[in-house]
Amino acid sequence: MTGAFADLLITAGVLVGLWSLVQLVVNRPLGRALRLGVWCLEALIAVFLIGGIVQMMTTDHDFAKLEFVGYLLGMLAIPLAALWWTRTDATRAGTAIIMVIGLVTSILVLRVQHVWAGPHG
Amino acid sequence: MDETRATNRGFGRVLVVIYALFAIAATARSVVQLSTKFSEAPVAYLLSALAATIYIVATVALARGNRSSRRVALAAISIELAGVLIVGTLSLAFPTNFPHASVWSSFGSGYGYIPLVLPVVGLWWLRRTWPQNTPE
Repeated sequence: MTGAFADLLITAGVLVGLWSLVQLVVNRPLGRALRLGVWCLEALIAVFLIGGIVQMMTTDHDFAKLEFVGYLLGMLAIPLAALWWTRTDATRAGTAIIMVIGLVTSILVLRVQHVWAGPHG
Repeated sequence: MDETRATNRGFGRVLVVIYALFAIAATARSVVQLSTKFSEAPVAYLLSALAATIYIVATVALARGNRSSRRVALAAISIELAGVLIVGTLSLAFPTNFPHASVWSSFGSGYGYIPLVLPVVGLWWLRRTWPQNTPE
């Protein structure tokens, strides 16, 4: 949860956010390439979720497990919901939404790490 | 309906997403608080549940964007603004009465003050998209 993969996911979220910001500044609507970027982010989140659950099941470490799983499932659901919400959007709003989602994903990884650290972490 | 004035078009789509994120965050937080430690701080945790409910109502109302849901959104966002101002002020003035944080404590400082800014933006957006000549 605190290793290189988490750092990769944080970086990927920030990159999607920055890429969206650039697209927003140059007045581009949400395109296929950015959607593909979100799907790549979603794939990384899926791996993070599986890895997180496996780690949770194989540790005696004391932390809020329900909250932990809730955050992981929320992380997985949010980009999918955003892709659905922007599916017919031909304006810059779709790009702005993906920017928000990229940054929120990075913040959620940090929050998951905080939960993983537990009350004494 | 005039598409250009719908609350769920353009910037409104982004606003709906931000409200939805807060609805998820506040709901999850209040479910955990109410189910595991309600007796520790019932007022703070009930405020979290109220905030969650208001975020859900505002999200749905802004996403629907028709005439009746505009009024619902206006009411929900107005209550949200009043809530964050009242709870924020009280939590700073009487910190001992608010030992456990809610979404609105300290004007939403735990969420980067977005809970304070969000209702102002929401009300601005409703005003901007409000139909000018809507027959009652």
